[in-house]
Amino acid sequence: MTDSNIEFGDIHWLMDILQNIDVGLVVLDRQYNIQLWNGFMESHSGLSPQKAKGENLFELFSEIPKDWFMKKAEPVYQLKTRTFTIWEQRPYLFRFKNYRPITGRASVMYQNTSIIPLESINRSVDHICVIIYDVTDIAVSREDVMSANKTLSELNRTDQLTELASRGYWLKELDREFLRCQRSVVPSTLVMFDLDDFRSINGHYGHQAGDQVLRSVSEGLRQTLRQTDQVCRYGGEVFSALLVDTDEDEAVVFAERVRKMIERMDIRYGQQSIRATASLGIARYQKSFTTAQDWLQAADKALYHAKESGRNKTTVYQPKAH
Amino acid sequence: MTLTPTEVSLSEDQRDCYQELTNVAMGQAADRLARLLDVYVVLPIPKVNLIESSDLHMAIQDAETDSAMSAVCQGFIGSGIAGEALLLFNDTSFSDLAALMNYGGELDRYGELELLMDVSSLLIGACIQGIGEQLEIHFNQGHPVVLGQHCKVDDILKSGNHQWTKTLAIEIHYTIEHVNIDCDLLLLFTEDSVAKLNNKINYLLD
Amino acid sequence: MATNVLICDDSSFARKQMARAIPKEWEVEIHFAGDGVEGVQAIREGKGEVVFLDLTMPNLDGYGVLEAIRKEDLPAMVIVVSGDIQPDAQDRVKKLGAMAFIKKPIDAEKAREVLTEYGILTGA
Repeated sequence: MTDSNIEFGDIHWLMDILQNIDVGLVVLDRQYNIQLWNGFMESHSGLSPQKAKGENLFELFSEIPKDWFMKKAEPVYQLKTRTFTIWEQRPYLFRFKNYRPITGRASVMYQNTSIIPLESINRSVDHICVIIYDVTDIAVSREDVMSANKTLSELNRTDQLTELASRGYWLKELDREFLRCQRSVVPSTLVMFDLDDFRSINGHYGHQAGDQVLRSVSEGLRQTLRQTDQVCRYGGEVFSALLVDTDEDEAVVFAERVRKMIERMDIRYGQQSIRATASLGIARYQKSFTTAQDWLQAADKALYHAKESGRNKTTVYQPKAH
Repeated sequence: MTLTPTEVSLSEDQRDCYQELTNVAMGQAADRLARLLDVYVVLPIPKVNLIESSDLHMAIQDAETDSAMSAVCQGFIGSGIAGEALLLFNDTSFSDLAALMNYGGELDRYGELELLMDVSSLLIGACIQGIGEQLEIHFNQGHPVVLGQHCKVDDILKSGNHQWTKTLAIEIHYTIEHVNIDCDLLLLFTEDSVAKLNNKINYLLD
Repeated sequence: MATNVLICDDSSFARKQMARAIPKEWEVEIHFAGDGVEGVQAIREGKGEVVFLDLTMPNLDGYGVLEAIRKEDLPAMVIVVSGDIQPDAQDRVKKLGAMAFIKKPIDAEKAREVLTEYGILTGA
């Protein structure tokens, strides 16, 4: 090879650099046995290069999920491509303690890794190099920002999961509409509804699937809405809709459309297909309401009746019955 | 010799040449994806354009601007030529992708992130290396950065305060036959890389 | 007698690259087509005894050209030269009657190899 006329001194320097560089370098052979283990790796693992060399990566570090890591590493061998992992996927590859008592606020070192192919003379890839970067600082500050954003978004207009209006925003709209209704003869109607037995969906398919159900229902809802309707995720699996300029009968049509839409929905989560139903309560604005809260309670009562009388149905609030 | 940056330009021959180089590179990327997923990737004709920074979102012509997207960005640099690759993934693609990749875990935000990273490593890496090989440039790739999950294109692209006015953009819209998977790969070179890149291209064009 | 060779590719750069890759000693007359429609027309006119055919093209793609050749039973030996190197693409073009598949970027060595293998280029 033409490039190999490196002086002995140069190799010595290169070795020094490898030892002292502040990133982890690990070379693995085709069987995932460790062939090179630099100073960074030694310092953080407490394992000397002599001890590490020749050992199998997965036997030495049980925290590395073999299937997962191989999914990232095999394309490097087979396709000569580089692959990357970031801390958002898994906080770390090697479980190293964060060793900085003053500036460190995380208990473990967050890591990004690059996996690069090392070609042999015959151009096949028999070894890969895993490069480990300490990204604890970035991760910690990002997580700070994210938790700050989360607090902000609670005050925000949209619900993060469903992208419907947030409860806070919607309640403000309701107050406004309540005031308008007091002055107006045009009716407005409130619909509250609740996914039936949502707890068992969560229990049976898991919370992530439950989230998907909420997202799908919200998406369906968005398509059912008219421009002036205001819908929000009231909380948990409860939704509420404010139908401006709508009387009871029209609200029943809307509610039935929503109920049937949900009933017909085939919600996909991975390989699974989930079905859901909803119970709905309708309350038209009444002059007897003194606050928006009364209106909400009326809708809630109707919803309760729908639940009590067998679910997957719509009930209209009857003021005289109470 | 002046020190002011030369106007970024692109002749018809150069555009044709970029298109052809990209075509070859994206073929290599598609081949890897095809082998990994055991599918046939439909190859479109790549779009090569000079774009203004204010029109960045226009470069993503085929992306549905209203649907939720997830995006990964990765920088690359070699021989003084630098840029970023942006992979925009339509969120509706994840369930089919998970099935094709035999992804067993829950398809939550983290599951989607795994899939996004696997596909972006493959597509971005192969495409950049493919272009690099033809131009005899070895590109080093930076670490991928997730720009957003479940965002709108406009929100993803708006986030940067762009330091350039006009530059070269290459857009590739990948779809996979028979399944609902589509994604956009956008290669954007820095403004001062374009002249160097054009020089390389001119050499190929004679 | 010179062989009529057709280079069918939408990229002028790719056409040039292909023309350069044709072995110097091979006595040929080279014709060009910028898309599939032009390509089929040229083949009908007898300009494509040997065709170097790209797959991804506007108007009519390489697959369409192969289908037309088969349907009209045109006398053309087709060598597909494409960046689409997916196993499926290679299978499809072979099934459609392409003689050989060369992956882009093309170079003289690869072209010579294939032309020799199929007896088009005999020891000069």
